[in-house]
Amino acid sequence: MRFNPTELSSSELALQTEVRQFLKTELAPGTHEPCLGMAARKDKSFSMKMAERGWVGMALPKAWGGSDRTAVDRFIVVEEMLRWGAPVGHHWVADRQTGSVILKFGTDEQRKRFLPAICRGELGFSIGMSEPDSGSDLASVSTRAERATGGWLINGTKIWTSGAHENDWFVCLLRTSAMEDGNKHAGLSQILIDLQSDGLEISPIPFLDGSHHFNEVTFNDVFVPDENVVGDVGMGWHQNTTEMAYERGGPDRWLSPFSTIEQLLREAKDTPLEQSVQSLFGELIARYWGIRNLSLSVARLIDSGEAPSIESSLVKEMGTRFEQEVIEKLVQLIELEYSPDSHSLFERMLSQCIVTFPGNTIRGGTIEILRSVAAKGLQGLPV
Amino acid sequence: MSKLIVDELITQTANRLFSEICSHEAIQNAETVGEAPEIWAAYTETGFPWISIDENLGGSGGTLLDALEVLRLVGYYAVPVPAAETGILGGWLLSEAGFQVPEGIVTVLPDQGPDLAIKVDGSQVSITGSAIRVPWARSAEIIAILFHDNGNNYVASVQASDCAITPMTNMAGEPRDTVRFDGVVCSYAEVSKAIDSQSFRFRGALSRVALMAGAIEKMSQMTVSYTNDRVQFGRPVARFQAVQQHLVWAAQDAALSRMAAESAAIEATRGNGAFEIASAKLIANQAASRATKACHQAHGAMGMTQEYPLHHYSRRLWSWRKEYGGDAEWSQWIGQLAVAQGADGLYPLITGGSRVL
Repeated sequence: MRFNPTELSSSELALQTEVRQFLKTELAPGTHEPCLGMAARKDKSFSMKMAERGWVGMALPKAWGGSDRTAVDRFIVVEEMLRWGAPVGHHWVADRQTGSVILKFGTDEQRKRFLPAICRGELGFSIGMSEPDSGSDLASVSTRAERATGGWLINGTKIWTSGAHENDWFVCLLRTSAMEDGNKHAGLSQILIDLQSDGLEISPIPFLDGSHHFNEVTFNDVFVPDENVVGDVGMGWHQNTTEMAYERGGPDRWLSPFSTIEQLLREAKDTPLEQSVQSLFGELIARYWGIRNLSLSVARLIDSGEAPSIESSLVKEMGTRFEQEVIEKLVQLIELEYSPDSHSLFERMLSQCIVTFPGNTIRGGTIEILRSVAAKGLQGLPV
Repeated sequence: MSKLIVDELITQTANRLFSEICSHEAIQNAETVGEAPEIWAAYTETGFPWISIDENLGGSGGTLLDALEVLRLVGYYAVPVPAAETGILGGWLLSEAGFQVPEGIVTVLPDQGPDLAIKVDGSQVSITGSAIRVPWARSAEIIAILFHDNGNNYVASVQASDCAITPMTNMAGEPRDTVRFDGVVCSYAEVSKAIDSQSFRFRGALSRVALMAGAIEKMSQMTVSYTNDRVQFGRPVARFQAVQQHLVWAAQDAALSRMAAESAAIEATRGNGAFEIASAKLIANQAASRATKACHQAHGAMGMTQEYPLHHYSRRLWSWRKEYGGDAEWSQWIGQLAVAQGADGLYPLITGGSRVL
């Protein structure tokens, strides 16, 4: 394990400036309600505006509609979007992981069909991993895809499916052959499913505050043609593990509360902050600087052709706990009885952080699972 | 611009030498005796103490970045010598004032309080009063003292043998002596306006950050190794999730503090790096607190004994955490700076650091 300090080159700094300029124009501070990190509003027109700049699917090859940019370039765009609280929800999953999975494991047909549309900011994807009886023990998924003429028939249930009611496509981890004794990682496949398919039902699982992000998706003999299988039949576990590595350790794992901290400062502008609150800013800014350097160095490692899976697990585990710590410290220090209906945007944002952030250390793999991945890596065992 | 990559040969040489001369027993012995002349002799043979100091003034050349890499490894091996004091603190003050650096140990006064009166008298100064927590004063040849007079900054070069020294230690048993000056007369020379008590404090913090990053990394690695070897309930305790949590948290703090130390070292070598040094010291302080807790817990009772070497690192970390600024001092400093940037300047400060200030 090694995190090397890295700095942005002049062209990378130019990209940072360009993104900041874009955001200042599109979402002037004080004129928009910032989102909390990647759990952002879906705004297709915003996604398409970003895409016009080449900032969606930017690390994908030009041949497939991307911009051939690096993981570090993508890091720069993503961190600016998230810290600004931009509505990146529509293209988020496709940009972070689905595009890469289709590029890496898909056929040319699939690449042609999906990647340019992803890079135009058009397509929204959901991820189908968890099931009622398969959470952290993901390899135990039991939603089946069975052979049918020219394709597969799917039966079963996926849950916690974010955005299925608004998105276009669903990348599912499915069991394509029965579980063998002692090797539950075999017999799984990744399949692309149109969310409008016959037999596919989407029903909301209301979030604890009543809002609608999660869904339950049930399949009743849903037919999916052969050409929708991603990669090789039976190789789903390996592909899925690779996919998970794309989604770990990035700015989305530590920036969620940033727009709230910034808003505190914005609203306090005429009142001097108490010493204790100033010191808290000192502590948070120092930690942000340190965690960002680690996260940036993971992106640099990816660009040098490495697969920093331990590093990214460590950063994600630390980053998501830090997000909760940030909010806890604000709550401790600021004597307010905040309300989700307050006239103060800061109070509204803080309320939302309190209610939603327990999920930050759960989504995309709990920190307990991340610890076991990282600990194996530290001991030199296969992860 | 000076080169901003560590000379690999330095890392290799330091690793080889320190692993030879710093056995558990050697470190323990240095603590008991209160100094380690053989280790110091081996350390000086490489020229390590004087890296980043001008060769014309008796230094070894090289960059501040190189010197900080040696300090990181001094922390990693708990080398019981005044590496920071002789080099990037005391050696730096002397050479900035145009003094030749001596062959022996140099030390500095980390906290120069009101108890010290320094009177300029022509080409000499007279110093009266006392200073506490002076590292390795008992073994030093020269005590370099930064002082201000009439708006100018000066460095006095005091012969340690002219002072009355009472041996004291920090929590790790490292010498932190009380030094009494009874009208000690010595030479002095002017240094640039940029070298004032604030920049000295930052440099002190930078030295501790490098040492701490090394010590946290070593502790984290020792803990992975110990929990792999220690078998309970029929398997290595590292297989238990509750123990894995400690391993992971310590590894994170090792990575975080090393990244902070190296990033601050690069910025300081480039010229200023105040924001990075302050942030790195605060990060290292907090990482030290968390990592010592995690590593001790994972070691169980074994880590609480003198026989097992964990304490060389944990006790140093508890001491270094408070040297050159604790959590309150640095969080206030950074907080004031951050708040002054305003809401729109907050994130640019994180990404740009000292270079946007």
